[in-house]
Amino acid sequence: MSRALAWAAAALCLGAAIALHAAEDRWIQKPAIDRPELLYVRSPAVARRAALGYQAVAADVYWIRAIQHFGQERLSPPGHVRTYALLHPLLDLTTTLDPYFSIAYRFGAIFLGEQYPDGPGRPDQAIALLQKGLAAQPQKWQYMQDVGFVYYWHLRDFKSAAACFEKAAAMPGAPTWLRPLAAVTLAEGGHRESARELFQQLAQSEEPWLRDSARLRLAQLDAMDTIDALRQRTQAFQRQHPGEPVTWDRVAAAGLLPGVPLDSSGVPFALDPASGDITVARSSKLFPLPGQLQAPR
Amino acid sequence: MAMLAIRTRDLTKDFPVGFWRPRPYRALDRLTLDVAQGEVFGFLGPNGAGKTTTLKLLMQLVFPSSGEAEILGRPLGDLGVRRRTGYLPENPYFYDHLTAEELLDYYGRLFGMAAADRRKRAASALDRLGVGAERRLQLRKFSKGMLQRVGLAQAVFNEPDVLFLDEPMSGLDPLGRRDVRALMLELRDQGRTIFFSSHILSDAEALCSQVAIVAKGRLAAAGRLADMREFAVHGWELVMAGVPAAALDRVRQRARRVLTIAGDRYAIELASDGRPEEMLRELTATGATLVSLNPLRETLEDVFVKRVEEMGEGARG
Amino acid sequence: MKTIASVALAVFRESVRDRVFYNLVLFAVLLVGASILIGQLTAGQDVKIIKDVGLAATSLFGLFIAIFVGINLVSKEVERRSVYPLFAKPIRRSEFIVGKYLGLLLTLLANMVVMAVALYAVLFFLSRGVPANIQSAWDAPALDPALLKAIALIYVDLALVTAIAVLFSTYSSPMLSAVFTIGIYVAGQFNTDLRRFDQIVSSPAAAAIGRVCYYVLPDFSRFDVKLAVVHGIPVPAAYVLAAAAYAAIYIAALLFGATVIFSRRDFK
Repeated sequence: MSRALAWAAAALCLGAAIALHAAEDRWIQKPAIDRPELLYVRSPAVARRAALGYQAVAADVYWIRAIQHFGQERLSPPGHVRTYALLHPLLDLTTTLDPYFSIAYRFGAIFLGEQYPDGPGRPDQAIALLQKGLAAQPQKWQYMQDVGFVYYWHLRDFKSAAACFEKAAAMPGAPTWLRPLAAVTLAEGGHRESARELFQQLAQSEEPWLRDSARLRLAQLDAMDTIDALRQRTQAFQRQHPGEPVTWDRVAAAGLLPGVPLDSSGVPFALDPASGDITVARSSKLFPLPGQLQAPR
Repeated sequence: MAMLAIRTRDLTKDFPVGFWRPRPYRALDRLTLDVAQGEVFGFLGPNGAGKTTTLKLLMQLVFPSSGEAEILGRPLGDLGVRRRTGYLPENPYFYDHLTAEELLDYYGRLFGMAAADRRKRAASALDRLGVGAERRLQLRKFSKGMLQRVGLAQAVFNEPDVLFLDEPMSGLDPLGRRDVRALMLELRDQGRTIFFSSHILSDAEALCSQVAIVAKGRLAAAGRLADMREFAVHGWELVMAGVPAAALDRVRQRARRVLTIAGDRYAIELASDGRPEEMLRELTATGATLVSLNPLRETLEDVFVKRVEEMGEGARG
Repeated sequence: MKTIASVALAVFRESVRDRVFYNLVLFAVLLVGASILIGQLTAGQDVKIIKDVGLAATSLFGLFIAIFVGINLVSKEVERRSVYPLFAKPIRRSEFIVGKYLGLLLTLLANMVVMAVALYAVLFFLSRGVPANIQSAWDAPALDPALLKAIALIYVDLALVTAIAVLFSTYSSPMLSAVFTIGIYVAGQFNTDLRRFDQIVSSPAAAAIGRVCYYVLPDFSRFDVKLAVVHGIPVPAAYVLAAAAYAAIYIAALLFGATVIFSRRDFK
């Protein structure tokens, strides 16, 4: 066989292999979302030993996968049930391999506790992860603050939250606003003001995702204040026009509002015509509002 | 008495053979030799006789199981004496990635030569051995014969008093062998001692003042080649062309054997006292022409076989 | 002394001609590639990850060189018989071993210097546009001089691996030497686990063996400060010096052993 022919045959076979590979992807539907089996190594202890001196790079790999997993779940199509099943295992692996990987702990703190559909709704996992971080670095105030955050926001346990903020305030390098925050939490735990305090501080974080998350919360709190103000108007309308359906146009026509009120994301508030309940629209970026937070006294 | 160049006493080497219960294989058995300075000493024997082992023992590449040896009055292992010796191993191999020049430069450093001195000696040694033109070529590109020449160059370039050469003619074509022979005589004329091993008798004949013969690790004979009965001429072979049929009868009467090579070309074997020059004159007078005239001797192998048998008897006795 | 230097330089030259230093091209490609790719993926961890990748690659590439050149250092010369003309020259077998070892150390040093420069260069470009307030929040600065401590200890680590490889090279085939050297390196990484062997296995004999191995086998985990350096945790100079001293003594033991083995060896 001449050389040219042999090379041509080799190229042909390679092309066929590539075509087959591509075709296979089309015919056999591979799941678009990660499944737990695809974790490579499940056990953190095994991973740490297997990494053999390259723990930091292995931690980086798992961190990247954690973010990708989180992003994929967040962006998944509406039919998909978002379990975020791999988030905790991946963050656990990351932090076992690199116990000083602070961003992994903090990311877990914020998002592990989030309720469906924004997160897996596991504040217990968030706290466990942070305790792990504190075991490696007992004087890191950010972790203690984050534990407080989880108690405050996800578990609604204001006493524990305040205790954590107090402990964090005592750690070296802690910012001065932690102690007042502890006080406010104790006093006004269930109230918007203390929440606003907390999120205002978090909004100044150096981590962009932390900032964005905090800003969203602040916008939601503002929306809740706005809703309280709007409720006064709609209630006034209901008193003036009992039995009539309550819509923004009618309220505006009654002179109680200048027009249809929009939330900070530009979407009109949703008004239930029968009951007069106001909330943010489903299509709004601020949906869903955090519940059970009372108006300031 | 002047210091001997090389002196061995009962030099012995056993190699363990086998993995589970190693039994000793005696590669060299009580070799005792004296080599005077300025000699060209031929260390002869068939393959596997222990020649290379002896050379390696002398160069401290292997360590003796018992016995001792001295080079220029210094015991084996003396570092200083190595400045005054040169060694050519059998089928030498150097470093693929170095050039011939760089190899000699490296060795020169080990001798402690100054840079300019190194360069000069290396260049002249390579030229003398006929590989001067290839001095910047990487050794990986050298043929076997060229490597042999480089090997000789590195053996001589420090101007050693004693040279150890293991099969110096190996890998060389007839022209190369002639060159090396000339070189060895040149070195001898400079007063250097040469100790070389070979399995080719004619090389020894051309060069040696003394020889030793080893077989199966033991010394079979030593002394001047001419004095050795074993190598005495026991006949002549006269090859003539164009011998007329008429002369053949007379030839057959005087010869031990006549072989027809082709047509009118014959190989005539005569006894050692058969006076080949007379026959040559007679046959030439009839119009025949000389092709060749060679002495007949025992080959080295024949001698060894005989000697080994004798030695075998002696050992058992 | 000059003899040792000659042998060492010969090893260095052979490394150059055998294209060992081409690994630096791969290293550069890896670093630059990683720094371009990771920007989108890592939520602001670029600098940390580049440091991790750079240090890991420095260690890994160096390890390959130390092992695969190291196991051949002596055995190749013996197998190819270039030792025959060599030892006819005035050079001791011990000088040969030490010279070979130092030559590979020189090769590794040159390799690592280039890698360190490349790493700092990439970190410089990566951190160039980042505002100061974000930089101050990082665990450690981008052009952190403490990285040099990590790199220095990686070098010490490799020097020890090389010594082990050379020891095996004096009497084993390259294949066996590679297996043993890699085996000891891996076991040395698990050094701390060996110490706590009694908590893992129930047999006291096995635990005792574990303890003995813990003390005797080289403790490679002690040279790994990559995690600490990348997270700005201080590594005291005393620690670095102590680790280097431990390595130096262990290396001396290995080279003595190699010399003894090699000096008594018949080149058949």
